[in-house]
Amino acid sequence: MRSRCGGRGRRDRKTTEVNSDKTGRTQKLKRQPNQDQQETPDKEQNPNNTNIHDTVCNLYDVPLNGPALSVLSVDSFIHQSMGIILEDAVKKATDVREKVCEWRSPEELKELLDLELRDQGESESKILKRCRDAIRYSVKTTHPRFFNQLFAGMEPYSLVASFITETLKTSLYTYEMAPVFTLIEDAVLRKMMEMIGWEEGGDGIFNAGGSMSNMYAMNLARYRYYPDIKELGLSAAPQLAVFTSQESHYSISKAAALMGIGTKNVHMVPTDKRGKMIPSALEEQIESAKRKVRTVPFLVNATAGTTVFGAFDPIDKIGEICEKHNLWLHVDACWGGGALMSKKHKYLLKGIEKANSVAWNPHKMLMTCLQCSAFLIRDKTHLLQHCHSARASYLFQQDKFYDVSYDIGDKSIQCSRKPDAFKFWLTWKALGTKELGQRVDRAFEMSRYLAEEIKKREGFRLLMEPEYANVCFWYIPPSLRNLPDGPEFCQKLHNVAPVIKERMMKMGSMMVGYQPHGGNANFFRMVVISPQVSRQDLDFVLDEIHNLGKDL
Amino acid sequence: MEPALCDLKDPLINHAEGQLFLNEAFKIIVEEVLCKGTDVQQKVCEWREPDELARLLDLELRDAGEQQDRLLQRVRDVAKYSVKTSHPRFFNQQFAGVDYHSLAGRFLTEALNTNLFTYEVAPVFVLMETEVLRSLRQLVGWTEGDGIFCPGGSTSTVYAMNLARYRLFPEVKSQGLWALPRLAIFTSPESHYSVRKGAAFLGFGTDNVILVKVDERGHMIPEDLDEKIELSKSQGAVPFLVSCTAGTTVQGAFDPLDGIADVCDKHKLWLHVDAAWGGSVLFSKQHRHLMKGVDRANSVAWNLHKMLAAGLQCSALLLKDTTDLLKRCHSSNASYLFQQDKFYDVNLDIGDKSVQCGRKVDCLKLWLMWKAVGSSGLEQRVDKAFLLVRYLVDQMKKRDGFHLLSEPEFVNVCFWFIPPSLRGKEGNADYQNKLAKVAPTIKERMMKRGTLMVGYQPLGDKVNFFRVTVFSHLVSHKDMDFFLDEIERLGSDL
Repeated sequence: MRSRCGGRGRRDRKTTEVNSDKTGRTQKLKRQPNQDQQETPDKEQNPNNTNIHDTVCNLYDVPLNGPALSVLSVDSFIHQSMGIILEDAVKKATDVREKVCEWRSPEELKELLDLELRDQGESESKILKRCRDAIRYSVKTTHPRFFNQLFAGMEPYSLVASFITETLKTSLYTYEMAPVFTLIEDAVLRKMMEMIGWEEGGDGIFNAGGSMSNMYAMNLARYRYYPDIKELGLSAAPQLAVFTSQESHYSISKAAALMGIGTKNVHMVPTDKRGKMIPSALEEQIESAKRKVRTVPFLVNATAGTTVFGAFDPIDKIGEICEKHNLWLHVDACWGGGALMSKKHKYLLKGIEKANSVAWNPHKMLMTCLQCSAFLIRDKTHLLQHCHSARASYLFQQDKFYDVSYDIGDKSIQCSRKPDAFKFWLTWKALGTKELGQRVDRAFEMSRYLAEEIKKREGFRLLMEPEYANVCFWYIPPSLRNLPDGPEFCQKLHNVAPVIKERMMKMGSMMVGYQPHGGNANFFRMVVISPQVSRQDLDFVLDEIHNLGKDL
Repeated sequence: MEPALCDLKDPLINHAEGQLFLNEAFKIIVEEVLCKGTDVQQKVCEWREPDELARLLDLELRDAGEQQDRLLQRVRDVAKYSVKTSHPRFFNQQFAGVDYHSLAGRFLTEALNTNLFTYEVAPVFVLMETEVLRSLRQLVGWTEGDGIFCPGGSTSTVYAMNLARYRLFPEVKSQGLWALPRLAIFTSPESHYSVRKGAAFLGFGTDNVILVKVDERGHMIPEDLDEKIELSKSQGAVPFLVSCTAGTTVQGAFDPLDGIADVCDKHKLWLHVDAAWGGSVLFSKQHRHLMKGVDRANSVAWNLHKMLAAGLQCSALLLKDTTDLLKRCHSSNASYLFQQDKFYDVNLDIGDKSVQCGRKVDCLKLWLMWKAVGSSGLEQRVDKAFLLVRYLVDQMKKRDGFHLLSEPEFVNVCFWFIPPSLRGKEGNADYQNKLAKVAPTIKERMMKRGTLMVGYQPLGDKVNFFRVTVFSHLVSHKDMDFFLDEIERLGSDL
């Protein structure tokens, strides 16, 4: 369906580019030891350690026949692998003429990948081939026709930042270990708080995903009301009740289960037909929970941008209810937080400044590489530190020579933690608030365009007008178009999306998710994020769905 | 309307420009981090006070974007002022060194930017993670079982606690802890702090983490464990989990797993082995005896990013369970992600085993490295680390002023440096006070010089001492000599 030859031609050019750099570097590295030995005799007599082969052989009279990495092969390996990555995983993966995925059944793919790990190592050329295979059979989530999840597109600045963090390989526990990233995390968090509208500032941390942020909110909220929980456990508290909408993310229930609160103590508040929490229903549920013996409401989770519909709960009104009942308001803005960057659309999160905590994943709408999940808390009393700290003396020594308040690691329940904020920082520096905002505006425009096209086309039916970048719709194949709405129609319609999904994946032409929802038969959910996506791509999606499903 | 918005016809961003930036930035990464960052002639760190560094970095995020050359300078700055954790003189943490195959795997993972929730979005990595976990379980001695990669060893510990509690009281998932008796966890005072953090987070409370006595080398004493369990039962608590450690953080001690497993069998408790640090000895025929009895555990946490340098993070949680406990305990069956009417075997949609939603691909870097050097190559790295430690200890004994806390069992060497002015003054009343100040001062000096990084800490009644961990395959005995020389240089006047 497409020319692989074209791709090869392009790779050759790129490889040359990379190789020419490699040659220069290799010469330099080979020269270096002699030069340095002469130039810095006073420093130490140690030969340049980048010459791994030599040091390995000299070691304490031990023959070390492990991977004899000479600097030459290391240098060339990392350059060659990067050449492959840039060509196959960056350039080709984002090329609209290439496939989004190269579907193989699990059995077949296992054979192709030869996954087994053996006693003996393999040659470099074999390893490079393995890199190519991993790319080939992986889904190209950066492809302009990938609409399957709440992340998409490729942001080169973020990718560079990822490469840097992977190479520097550090962990955010102390200033001593991660001076740069400690300061950068702080700067990014402060700026995000500014976007939220917390004029007094607050505190925060980057987490391993939005689910983790929602858990943090739950843990902090219960700790604020019942600080003895940390030492005594939940027996020090009455039965705690959480409130969230039925459209909210499943991580709220997962968090309640993990943290010993129990899923039955998560009260699901009904939503209106657009998927927004109904404030009066919330208040009723809070009051009814309060009437129960030993049950104490403590946390309301409002969602800004629900997973399926992209609905924004009315945060302002929910905030008032929380104030009235003295409850912790957490806003799960993992998906919808991006709208805060847009002057035009930030009204959707009106009232978010009332929240006690916010979860916001820049790796979604703002296209930072996975993972980049901020947890922000409007607190100036070091609640995060008090709630999570364990004061390990091997890591958080108090007699250090610098201000140990920069050792932020004990705020986390993780020990090692990746410097995820840097990816967002570099992207933000590169684009500025303004262009980030324009991208968000564009995503809104795109989803409006798609919704209008859907309305124009026969056989497509919107579930509802999009509020955000989620567009939910059914495709009704010709054979069903004359059926009356009813159980038979629903049943048949329910089977359509899975078949079209199977076909699109086997073709590799695009990826769009589907799901049932409430009483609704399976429907598609398109999510438009990437500025690499154009109107043509959206037209293509509709054409392709029709082509794949018209015989059903 | 903004110019960028008026036309939806074309892509907004120009990828050629982005790719050029990637090419240029990669050159800087190679030069500044990979070449200079592993070169002993270069500094390990370029110390700056927080205020000064904040100014140098120009952290503020503004309305307008910046030019590419400016951004490339930022890349250089970040590299310059960051600690070079791959440097042969970096001994500060339980990770160090660099493996180029795993690094390529990490680059690739970042570029492919996917999530491990379903086979549909991560076909290669779902299969790869399964295979890697199987191979790791094999080293533990299990032919069957389950597992998952977690964002760090602390999360693995949290998982073990949650699984153990769920196995005993499945109703906890829906009812919460109020429906349960008071539960007790047992671990040693030398265990990692994540046990306490986990207990607080999961609602047990840190008071219900009962500390079992250790011997002078830091090993949990099984007899005391047995007694503490009996005592706890008599006080009305329900013991359910023993978390023992294979390779403690400070001393590198291995708890006697066989003896502890006997106690767990007797009381029917879940045995979790925190082998985040020590697990890699399982690759070595010569040293795996340190973990004898590990196959009797219910769960094992093993961080491949530590000794084996797979790159942060690479934390495997391995389970003996074959009853799908992980999924039953954590699943919430989200219909938007885990549709049951898919066209392939939905058992491959492993995402619901996790308490995360998005989960990074951490298996590729390990898999690629393992493929490249083989189990035998990894074994040699482990064996080499033990030999280097042996060398370091021998050299310390030959020199004045180096005083070991104990003979190392693993690759942690804990020692005091006694400056000339304190030698022979052990009997003085202020000796301990003075000794306690030595390590922090030397640490400050080494960081300001940028020659070396090694950690120090107090432990129990022992005043500040250095803990050096040696395992990077880039380190040679010359680096060991340098290490000792440099500590002497930095501390001789104290």
